[in-house]
Amino acid sequence: MPRSLVWLLSLGLFGVLAVLPLVAGDYWLHTAILCLFYVMMAASWNLLAGYTGQVSFSHAAFAGIGAYVSGMCAIYFHLPPLLGALVGMAVAAVLGLLLGVLCIRMGGIYLSLTTLAFSEMLRIVIDNEYEITRGTMGLSVPFVLPFYSKAWAFYLMGAVTLGLLYVIHRIIRSDLGTAFRAVQNDETAAASLGIHVVKIRVAAFVISSTMAGLAGALYGHYHQLITPEILSLNLMFLVLAMTIIGGLGTFAGPVVGAVFLEVLSEYIRIYGEFHVLIFGLVALFISRFAPEGLVGLWRKRFPTLDAQR
Amino acid sequence: MDDFLLYLTNGLLLGVIYALSALGVSLIVGIMNVINFAHGELYVLAGYFSALFAHALGLPIPVAMALAVGLVFVFGLLIERTLIQPTYGNDMYSLIITFILSIVLQNAYLFIFGPYPQKPPNWVTGSTHLFGLFYYGNQRLASFLAGAAVIALLFLLIKKTWFGKMVRAVAQDREMASMVGVNSTRVNMLSFALGCALAAAAGVILAPIFPVNPTASVGISLTAFVVVVLGGMGSLEGCVVGGILLGVVQNLGAAYVSSGYKHFFGFLILVLVLTVRPSGLFGRKEI
Repeated sequence: MPRSLVWLLSLGLFGVLAVLPLVAGDYWLHTAILCLFYVMMAASWNLLAGYTGQVSFSHAAFAGIGAYVSGMCAIYFHLPPLLGALVGMAVAAVLGLLLGVLCIRMGGIYLSLTTLAFSEMLRIVIDNEYEITRGTMGLSVPFVLPFYSKAWAFYLMGAVTLGLLYVIHRIIRSDLGTAFRAVQNDETAAASLGIHVVKIRVAAFVISSTMAGLAGALYGHYHQLITPEILSLNLMFLVLAMTIIGGLGTFAGPVVGAVFLEVLSEYIRIYGEFHVLIFGLVALFISRFAPEGLVGLWRKRFPTLDAQR
Repeated sequence: MDDFLLYLTNGLLLGVIYALSALGVSLIVGIMNVINFAHGELYVLAGYFSALFAHALGLPIPVAMALAVGLVFVFGLLIERTLIQPTYGNDMYSLIITFILSIVLQNAYLFIFGPYPQKPPNWVTGSTHLFGLFYYGNQRLASFLAGAAVIALLFLLIKKTWFGKMVRAVAQDREMASMVGVNSTRVNMLSFALGCALAAAAGVILAPIFPVNPTASVGISLTAFVVVVLGGMGSLEGCVVGGILLGVVQNLGAAYVSSGYKHFFGFLILVLVLTVRPSGLFGRKEI
């Protein structure tokens, strides 16, 4: 895309974000905040899956870790939520490092299996440790800001999301991002050029998991109720479907996919729980016939816009 | 002491069952390097089919079971042809696609069969007095024997027949096998479907004991994955040993530590294996 168009689009996006709380009702503001959460989740999962080719199934689990740790810090140690969110992030980072070191040296399949087992195991622990986590009843936690205001929560989440996207963009364009793609495309060639494949993979996993921890912590404090639902495979699937439908391995893909699916699911909510089934079928179709998702289709349709990139 | 023996017996029996339900995953990963995340869903599907055929159509139990396994085998062929074949050479996409498939199937079952557990009729009734110590359900013993028989048949098929030879050749060296005239695409299709049929066999054998519901599949898949990693990716012998080991550990753990944490022990074993011996008990070293 031409530079000027990128600036124009970014400006428009900022404008929409700034004005939205003033014009949208409570319901759509809530939807917009959910969108921001999903954008953070999908974009950080894409950094791992789309750029290093590692499929983690514990992204929702790390969001859960962030949410629960931050929530428990607020309840048991009376930390302010934003500080708690940092603690949640840190715990997610440490657990991500441990899990990554444990299984990444064995290759991609092991990461997928272990992360899946890890997230189920975590759900079992949270369900069982009722005294601390309130089990399936859910943990009531304080609001993310000292005063209750959806509009300000939206601005906060919006600012964090933009910050996160900026960081991801910088990583993709940096040497680290190049190393990510090198590891994805040809492990042996990357190693022969002096890239420490396992270290790069673990780094990507830790960065991505930490971001999920932050997103989860903010989401939990916005919702004020944290349930084991956040670690469920359903949420994991939604994040995965958003990235796939938007476009795996593209910067804009997860953003487009997250907003698209979240808004769509609000419209088809009246038909009950079928939206997961429908998203699943769409995601299956897209990953089979258009592996680059909506963004890839757009690029095919308007190749000239991308020519100057 | 009696209790201990009971838990041990239970663990051994369940272990054979775990081995049976993990063999399908192990077979597919050994030959195609694809993890079938929809494994548990195929197990559940066969459970539903056998219940449906036996109750609604009134078919005799063995016919209902055979029909269920046959249908899942055909379903497996279709999955391989339409979803897996285009992903050859890209392990990541096959992971993603089978994961999406598993979620789609779970939600489809919820829609079609409802959330309530369903179970096919028992083959046998009553119980047997084991070792003069405790009573054990006959259905469990029958399922155990059937499971052991299926495992034995699979080993015969892989180790003794011409088809087995082709499968092993492809697993060892795909290019070399193609060069000497093995149609590796067809071997892939058949072995994927065979892996699905093994999941289905486990499903029809176990559904009388553990009724199936749409989300039962997650636990089954996870147990299978733990067994496969424990035994060593792609090793069928490892799968049997790993299954029995896991069954015993889980049952003793559930009995003496906490039953809520039954599946937690599986994860613990997984972590232990990955730390101490990542290639598993019988794993190929070079992975």
